[in-house]
Amino acid sequence: PPETRAAARPRSGPAPVTDVAKLCICDLLVAQCDVNCCCDPDCSAADFSLFTTCSVPVVTGDNRLCSQKAAMYSLDVEANPPERIFKLIDQVNPNVFCIHATNYKQALSFSSPQMPTSENFDQLLKEFGSAAFSAEPDSWDMNTDAQNPSDANETYRYEYGVPIHTVDAFLRLPSPVVSSWCSDANPAGFLVNQATKCTRPVSVRKCGNIQAVSMLFYINSGILAVPKSSQMVNITVQSVVVQSLNGMRTLLNGSDVLRLPMILDELCINIVLGVSYHITYTDMGEIIEAAAAFVLGAINKEALSIQQSFEISFTQVNTKPVPLSGNPGYVVGLPVRAGFRPQGYPFPVEILFNTNKYGQLTILQSTSSQDCLAAQGARTPVLFGYNMVSGCKLRTTAAMKCQPLTQTLLDLLKGQTFPEYVASFGNSRAQDVLDWVPITHLQTSEQRIYNTFQSSCQIPISLEIEVKWTKYGSLVNPQARIVNVTATITTTTLKQLPSGRERTIPITSSVVFTDISSPAEPGYKAWPTINVKLPFDFFFPFV
Amino acid sequence: NSHQLSSVPLQILFYVNGIYYIFYFLATLAMIVYKSEVFSYPDDFLAPDLALLFIMAILEVPRLHLAFCFLRGSKGNLSEEEAPLGLSLVITVGSVILSVYFLVWQTYVLKADVILNALLLFTYGLESVLKVVAIAAFV
Repeated sequence: PPETRAAARPRSGPAPVTDVAKLCICDLLVAQCDVNCCCDPDCSAADFSLFTTCSVPVVTGDNRLCSQKAAMYSLDVEANPPERIFKLIDQVNPNVFCIHATNYKQALSFSSPQMPTSENFDQLLKEFGSAAFSAEPDSWDMNTDAQNPSDANETYRYEYGVPIHTVDAFLRLPSPVVSSWCSDANPAGFLVNQATKCTRPVSVRKCGNIQAVSMLFYINSGILAVPKSSQMVNITVQSVVVQSLNGMRTLLNGSDVLRLPMILDELCINIVLGVSYHITYTDMGEIIEAAAAFVLGAINKEALSIQQSFEISFTQVNTKPVPLSGNPGYVVGLPVRAGFRPQGYPFPVEILFNTNKYGQLTILQSTSSQDCLAAQGARTPVLFGYNMVSGCKLRTTAAMKCQPLTQTLLDLLKGQTFPEYVASFGNSRAQDVLDWVPITHLQTSEQRIYNTFQSSCQIPISLEIEVKWTKYGSLVNPQARIVNVTATITTTTLKQLPSGRERTIPITSSVVFTDISSPAEPGYKAWPTINVKLPFDFFFPFV
Repeated sequence: NSHQLSSVPLQILFYVNGIYYIFYFLATLAMIVYKSEVFSYPDDFLAPDLALLFIMAILEVPRLHLAFCFLRGSKGNLSEEEAPLGLSLVITVGSVILSVYFLVWQTYVLKADVILNALLLFTYGLESVLKVVAIAAFV
């Protein structure tokens, strides 16, 4: 049909402008006058009178030609009002090697690129489709073929960020792409711990047909132990948690059974609501184990979509995962890591710490009842960079004895296990003892006047932890490093009460983070020095 | 003898032509090399220009040799001495056409090209006139 043929005829680009009188490179605004652009056709004489100079004084063609036309623009500032002068002259090039004539059309102008059509598309793609245009594309292919045999001898291994290969494609971690709908094309990267949540359209009618809500979809393809090998690691089912319609979760024992979606009492059960992959790897970059923990749920007739959450975490074999609070500097909001010196060692070789990352350095947590003794030891972890204050009220009666009260308050303020060392970096290892900062304990008294013969007892009423940190490392990427931790206990005198009376003492504990970084000094590379030294025997006959 | 009288300016002209042609050849060759570096000079335009320049040089050698043959004199009678001059004239026509090519139809004609070729054409023209006069003296 003639319409398609007309469409197939290549459209050429706009014709190049070669008339110097019509060429204006400072005319950028369409239908508006550009300031100080004397060649702009949109400017009127009134606009020209406001200009100060001409930004483009001369427009010429190629100045290697012996004679060419030139358009000269200038402003006559003597006249009142100033007006623009336009002259079209013939410029003569005095050089004896100027081009007098040329019989080669494309010599003096850029060639127009070919417009792609259905006929020449393949040839244009072959010529221009790669990152560099080469006159001999075949020679590039030969080079890559030559490199491949040497690669084959190399053993493959996974590196950080490389997608985890399975038998047919990649290990999928469905994630939201543009909208919140799940896309199954997101591969999981090696050593990239990810957690994603996305929405999946479901319906009870298509219960058994939707692949992505069935357990089989997530464990059927085995993971390759190393890329491009045939060694497979099967994904085992680590645990199955069943979530009922009202949100209650139950852990099932005997989790070897594969539960596929099926319809039961107008509900579709065994729908995958969450998958958590745990991959174990060796330090050679090989995957040796893979396990998946599932959360299965049920949907009713009204449900149109469900939210699925996916997680993947990597653990090195024969190690216990230690939660880091930063790598290397502390990240604001992550718990401060703290630990103890092992018993019996005068010099610590390793710091012991609780692997529960929220149980390391803690302070008293305020409760709604505000009663210290009823607090039941509720504690909250100290998060880096977050100054916190908490407290409670202590009701004392005359019957309370000093020493037990002191001990109770100390336990309340410091907790059962108050650590001795704090990690200076977020990723400090237990065996690097010098990376751990000891906690300094101070004790101050509220009363200024210190009577050494005090018979009354001193009870601690506040604990203040001051964490001094500094910025460490390069100017463009400073890392937070804890330098000093001081725990100050403030005591006050407990006055004896007449019997039967009660008193309320406020107890506070606080954490303060102070930045003590010194201002950064930029370091400059030393100027190179000229090292001129004459040879040792330069003045040989005389010296 | 008229043939002896017209040979002196012709002889001078042939010497000048020979020397000038050597200069012309070297200059044109140098300029073609310069053009191929400075301008965009693809191979299928460069090849004909170089080929024609060398053809012109090859033609020039017999042309001048035949002309000198006439002047130095040779054994044989006068009627045979027209032949080399006539042949030289014919070759001159070819050289003129090639010179016009370099003046007008070359890929890049620089001002220096124009000057060189104009001078060459002027020399050829003067030479041809004198040759025709010399031949006419025999006929």
